[in-house]
Amino acid sequence: MGDSQYSFSLTTFSPSGKLVQIEHALTAVGSGQTSLGIKASNGVVIATEKKLPSILVDEASVQKIQTLTPNIGVVYSGMGPDSRVLVRKSRKQAEQYYRLYKEPIPVTQLVRETATVMQEFTQSGGVRPFGVSLLVAGYDDKGPQLYQVDPSGSYFSWKASAMGKNVSNAKTFLEKRYTEEMELDDAVHTAILTLKEGFEGQISGKNIEIGMIGNDRIFKVLSPSEVEDYLQEAE
Amino acid sequence: MTRFEESAPVKGGFSFDLCKRNEMLVQKGLKPSSYLKTGTTIVGLVFRDGVILGADTRATEGPIVADKNCEKIHYMAPNIYCCGAGTAADTEAVTDMVSSQLKLHRFHTGRDSRVVTALTLLKSHLFSYQGHVSAALVLGGVDVTGPHLHTIYPHGSTDTLPFATMGSGSLAAMAIFESKYREGLTRDEGVKLVAEAISSGIFNDLGSGSNVDVCVITKGNREYLRNYMLPNLRTYVSEKGYSFSKKTEVLMTKITPLRELVEVNEGGDAMEE
Repeated sequence: MGDSQYSFSLTTFSPSGKLVQIEHALTAVGSGQTSLGIKASNGVVIATEKKLPSILVDEASVQKIQTLTPNIGVVYSGMGPDSRVLVRKSRKQAEQYYRLYKEPIPVTQLVRETATVMQEFTQSGGVRPFGVSLLVAGYDDKGPQLYQVDPSGSYFSWKASAMGKNVSNAKTFLEKRYTEEMELDDAVHTAILTLKEGFEGQISGKNIEIGMIGNDRIFKVLSPSEVEDYLQEAE
Repeated sequence: MTRFEESAPVKGGFSFDLCKRNEMLVQKGLKPSSYLKTGTTIVGLVFRDGVILGADTRATEGPIVADKNCEKIHYMAPNIYCCGAGTAADTEAVTDMVSSQLKLHRFHTGRDSRVVTALTLLKSHLFSYQGHVSAALVLGGVDVTGPHLHTIYPHGSTDTLPFATMGSGSLAAMAIFESKYREGLTRDEGVKLVAEAISSGIFNDLGSGSNVDVCVITKGNREYLRNYMLPNLRTYVSEKGYSFSKKTEVLMTKITPLRELVEVNEGGDAMEE
């Protein structure tokens, strides 16, 4: 990184004013597995498909939804290894913030710092942009929040959002189903139904992952059996 | 350009550049500024179901008691606590830093922290500062491998013991432990022995005093008994109170109300692409 031969940025402007590398990164995200998030009145839920390349893969060892702090969780669409790097950096930044201010990092601050890291990789020497978009779900003093961070480093606060394959269908479905007064359990059911829309094959507790945070402000990833319970309720 | 190299080894750290200058100044007669030392009696012992840590609560600045009720038992992890003797700032900073590192480690591995992990992080840090970080620690906790108790010296050496004492009151406390410790103590016996050892330090050592803090760590649970014993209460407080004669005349009284707070709504956190 930062070697003299690569001290120029690989992300350069095109004549039309676009950063082509970022466009391609977004394409990489768009071909990743669907993930979505819904902000309810009393919490946030994020969910993703967990399609493994073969039935021989030990699905219990794969966890796509990660905890950044006890009250903030994240899911990605796109390249898994890239998301690991971001998760690691975000956790460290959250911890550094806590060490300095002795206050748990607010969700917006963590999102901003993560987005800054992603932007740096679009303007530094010898590196490429991250091939992931993140959905950050958190609950702090400002209430439940859901943010999406893109490879360019831009971030948005959403009431409900989807990323990856099938994103337009999923978003249309969410637009129809979303209500402001939705509670967390309804949001989980809506999330499951949205995933089901574009799901190829039989949906089960083993090939989707759900993470949620409620008034207790503890982010947790549901176990496959808990997911099964919600699946049965949603039918 | 290389701002993302945070995870690469830091080239900073303590700079020893000014040490020669400081030595020269001391030789010329400049007195080094005083810092807050903890004096201290800190102890730890392993009992039947886990580990008990104890500490006094006096912080001294030379001959003056700077803090009559300071906290010397520091949190490292839900199952690991650390008592600190030496320079108060050093013990606070080093335990805080390692606690932070342990938290990140727990996130990455998804497992509870082990006492040896805290031990190794602390001793590597202290060793790399060659004893200039004046922190003498008693580290205790219970993890998957069982209860552990260690002492860590400012230069970075460690001991693993069934019972340990550190600080200026360590001899007074160790006298109690050596005569009364045995293996397989129950919780109540252990807490009583720890309190006795700390009291011995409080009453027999000038650098230790005030109250007794105790922390009991068992598998899956910990009890932080802040001010478990208060053997040095201020018994006599004058009922008359104190009166001070007024020396300054009031010429004029004027009340200026604070300005009204104006809220600026910036329109939320949305960003443009």
